[in-house]
Amino acid sequence: MVEETRIHYGEELEQLEASALGGLDLVSGALGRTLEVVEHQDVELAQLVIADDDRIDGRYLEVHQSLIALLATQSPVATDLRLISALLHVLKNVERMGDQCVNICKLIPLTGNEPPADEQMVKLILTMGRQTRTLISQSKRAFEERDVGLARDLVRQDDVVDNLNRECFGLALAIGEDPDRREWAMTMLLAARAIERIGDNAVDIGEQVAFVVTGLFREFEDASHPEEMPPAPG
Amino acid sequence: MTNRQMASDETRAGAGREAREAAAERASIAVRPEFRPGGSGRRERVFQLKGVEVLYSGVSAVKDISMDIHRNDVTALIGPSGCGKSTLLRCFNRMNDLIPGAEVRGDLLYHGEDLYGPAVDPVQVRKLIGMVFQKPNPFPKSIYDNVAFGPRILGRKENLDQTVEGALKGAALWDEVKDRLDSNAYGLSGGQQQRLCIARCIAVQPDTILMDEPCSALDPISTGKIEDLMIELKEEFSIVIVTHNMQQAARVSDRTAFLMVELDADEQNRWGRLVEYDETERIFTNPRDKRTEDYVSGKVG
Repeated sequence: MVEETRIHYGEELEQLEASALGGLDLVSGALGRTLEVVEHQDVELAQLVIADDDRIDGRYLEVHQSLIALLATQSPVATDLRLISALLHVLKNVERMGDQCVNICKLIPLTGNEPPADEQMVKLILTMGRQTRTLISQSKRAFEERDVGLARDLVRQDDVVDNLNRECFGLALAIGEDPDRREWAMTMLLAARAIERIGDNAVDIGEQVAFVVTGLFREFEDASHPEEMPPAPG
Repeated sequence: MTNRQMASDETRAGAGREAREAAAERASIAVRPEFRPGGSGRRERVFQLKGVEVLYSGVSAVKDISMDIHRNDVTALIGPSGCGKSTLLRCFNRMNDLIPGAEVRGDLLYHGEDLYGPAVDPVQVRKLIGMVFQKPNPFPKSIYDNVAFGPRILGRKENLDQTVEGALKGAALWDEVKDRLDSNAYGLSGGQQQRLCIARCIAVQPDTILMDEPCSALDPISTGKIEDLMIELKEEFSIVIVTHNMQQAARVSDRTAFLMVELDADEQNRWGRLVEYDETERIFTNPRDKRTEDYVSGKVG
């Protein structure tokens, strides 16, 4: 007696989810290349990453427009509505992550073509970047599988990135008096900060996973009131 | 809160003196005080249903309905065709009494009193609990006589002009018809006719208004007017509405009840059952029952 209807609408929504989450693969690729840029001070690759960000922005515009069209024409409710709302957030996160890669790549000419001033700091930033790429793929998997546990685990993974960022800060402070080295260290700190923000965006995607599944939006970690956060279940 | 509600709130807040005068005017057709006991505010119950079952010639149409309907709420009944929404709605003012072979079982309390008690006069019930139907059904009379019909029958002939004006204002129709009250009601548009039926309904000072698909025969503009009107009317009345239009339920109602058809094991008999009853926002953003989710998102039905 119960007959399934609105099949095309369901398929369209599935495709849009895949496209939006596919944006995370684009970002992961961009971040991978950005790390190469940092490691080898590769100005040409930096220009490529900057130009390639148009693809991420294009994905944002395309999927965003289609989601708005679904809202206008299909009157989604309940889980579909929560999914569309979450995807709009995720798209924004993806777009921001791409911009952060661009921000890092724009820094690179400023540090010149000289060899790195501090190998240790570069190593830390590369480790941060790799950890952040893990976060990106984990956020994607958590969304695809509607896995709140995996989404929540992003907070723990992001703490690793945050700690590395603080270590970078310590190294920058200890870089010495030479003005060139100090300028280099400050610039690298900006890069580390950009990577750290990418990690935060991945955690935000995890929060959207929890919203889709439970219908409740709660920040996993509230930076302005860290003491008031309820303990994570499990 | 829906956009429409917000817009309506703003209108109310902004209209100032005029709105207050209109409200005072409408208060003059307010419900009799004995049915407006003060105190417990929004959670006061108009109807309490416990295990209500309606049968036609011994066959169940709806079964096991237990729910409270609150005062000054718009309560929406939604569900697929044949789930018994209209049957349930008709229980609330004993309209089922008019159908041969219909029988209502279980407890149905109206302001704490048994609506189907032996001492209750169904005619009195329908005075207090008015009904608006799917198709506008004005009498083939003038606009004035349509609205004055109820009060005249009830012998309330004093201040009839004010009663008619108040009811037409209450139904947001006055400005459109005040210069042609003597014209035949059939000359009005469908949307206007439906608002005339609402005016006719509130002219007898009911406590509750039942609406059975009141907008299904109307265009979107007229529908919007009726929906705005419902949000205004709930300040004074309690409203129960049956609708097939999910978005309408989402826009106007405070609470939504979802009924669906249930079949017995050999699929010979079918009846309606209440699946979920909750705040409307909850029903449309995060329903508890998978069947509700599938229905409100239009995936099955």
